[in-house]
Amino acid sequence: MSETIRIYGRTEWPGIVTAEALVSPKPLEGFTNVDPARGYTTERNHPLFKVSFVDKVLVYPSPRGSGGFMAYGRGRLPAAFIHTEGCPLSVAAAACAHIPSMTDFERDPCEVIETGDIVTVNADEGWIEVEKRG
Amino acid sequence: MKDIRLRDDEKRMLQGEDGIVAQKSMEWLVEMAQIAGAEELVNLDGTGDFHSPWTTMTVHHEITFDELKALADAGGHFKIPTFANKSPFLEESPIHGWEHCNMCAKVDPACRRHDDPDAHRDFMHDEWYEVYRKLGMLQSHSCANYLVSTYPPTLGQHCSWNESSAVPYCNAVLGARTNIDGSFATCYLGKAPYYDMHVTENRRATVLVKSDRLIQSNIEWDVLGFAIGEECGLAVPCITGTAKPNTTQFCKLNAGMNTGGAVRMYHIPGSTPEARTVEEAFAGLAPKRTVVIGESELRATYEKLNYHKGNQVDMVYLGCPHLSAVDMMLLARKLEGKKVKVPLWIMTAPWLYSVARDQGYLEIYEKAGAHLFDGTCMSAMGGVPEGVHSIAVDSAKQSYYISGCYPDEQFDVFYGTQDDCIDAAITGQWRGEWR
Repeated sequence: MSETIRIYGRTEWPGIVTAEALVSPKPLEGFTNVDPARGYTTERNHPLFKVSFVDKVLVYPSPRGSGGFMAYGRGRLPAAFIHTEGCPLSVAAAACAHIPSMTDFERDPCEVIETGDIVTVNADEGWIEVEKRG
Repeated sequence: MKDIRLRDDEKRMLQGEDGIVAQKSMEWLVEMAQIAGAEELVNLDGTGDFHSPWTTMTVHHEITFDELKALADAGGHFKIPTFANKSPFLEESPIHGWEHCNMCAKVDPACRRHDDPDAHRDFMHDEWYEVYRKLGMLQSHSCANYLVSTYPPTLGQHCSWNESSAVPYCNAVLGARTNIDGSFATCYLGKAPYYDMHVTENRRATVLVKSDRLIQSNIEWDVLGFAIGEECGLAVPCITGTAKPNTTQFCKLNAGMNTGGAVRMYHIPGSTPEARTVEEAFAGLAPKRTVVIGESELRATYEKLNYHKGNQVDMVYLGCPHLSAVDMMLLARKLEGKKVKVPLWIMTAPWLYSVARDQGYLEIYEKAGAHLFDGTCMSAMGGVPEGVHSIAVDSAKQSYYISGCYPDEQFDVFYGTQDDCIDAAITGQWRGEWR
């Protein structure tokens, strides 16, 4: 059986979803550095450059840059936002997207979750469950 | 999501007793506060700005034109002094200089051109601004309203601004307090979610930044800003080892830090108002960590901001953030008697366009073959003029955003000093390097 880890955090936007994780090792930047129509980052030098986040649980450490970060919440959307730390940029993205969103976890989700893990986000009850791949 | 504590007037607004616009505005503020984990709203006593003409930039709480017009006709007005951020969305066309834009509006489905007079008239969305002016909006259309507003907030005032490069100016340089949340709702109600930079405890430094190279030139401040942003993320840095920044350098530092990271507050003891000493910046607590951004880190950041294969420069862009009157005077001095070989765009705030004209700078720029624009920027316009495949800029922020517009093709970005950029405009070649 694969290992399952549950961690608790703070809900930004409610909802329950299970999907594959896409983990960004670097902060994400919006404005012109995200393409909402295609659902990927266009930020140069970024490990997720042109990697689709559509329908994935998008896990990232923190937002950076312009107020145009909210473009992550427009157009083609991830299944959920999971991030280590937040600021008004991630607030605006959650307000745009209205998809399950959580932050402020008891453990850093970027250290617990790897790309390809299956993550259940239960933002109604304030936890995520990570099923490690393999 | 927790319920937030609302005052009696806020409850009334939420229940619709003060009208539909107040109700929808309050719903938006409550939603943002809940997402942020804020427990209450703060009454604003400073200034605000937002991207217009739309009200929230989301589909969920948008207030309609008819609702705004009815509010204005009934004598409604913004609660705090409210300024327009950059040129009207979505096209973000220049207010002046548009006739020199050899490009279409990339967000316009029909790709109508910025230099088409009929399209330009539509892109200004005058019908909305007639209503907004009646509601009290000052139509400044700048990312750097702090340079032109004639009404900066004072120490400790609570504001609601919406521009990444401007937010640290409000917090760190002026000592006023803002999150990047300026919207119609915050300005109309004079309220914002109370969290992050509104809260005293969150404004203390947590990371000590040192540099082994004395930071004193404009490009050093710009590169330092981006490097601090990448290193500090959401932290509040206390920056040491620099000369005293002037206004241009503060603008560059702020734009760099809030692009490379999300640094919306910082301290430079001796230069910023909330901490006279390093100890005061940390409120007597120890730094969580110390970061050295020295010669090698600055050079590495400079290289990262350069993103090109060849050396051919197709155009040059100066003015991120929008240039001040002094910046334009200094630039006119450099361009007088010169002739550019490739397009040189100079960007300022609309309220300074007439200053540039009256002072004679506009004539100097045009004689040199350059053009003055205002209210927008290349990244905001979503790309560059037709036939341009490379651009030289003197702004880390503009460098990092313009390449995002061209993920599918080779697009060269040259980054360096303003002098290197002017040299590139005259020669069509990039000869800049980290010095």
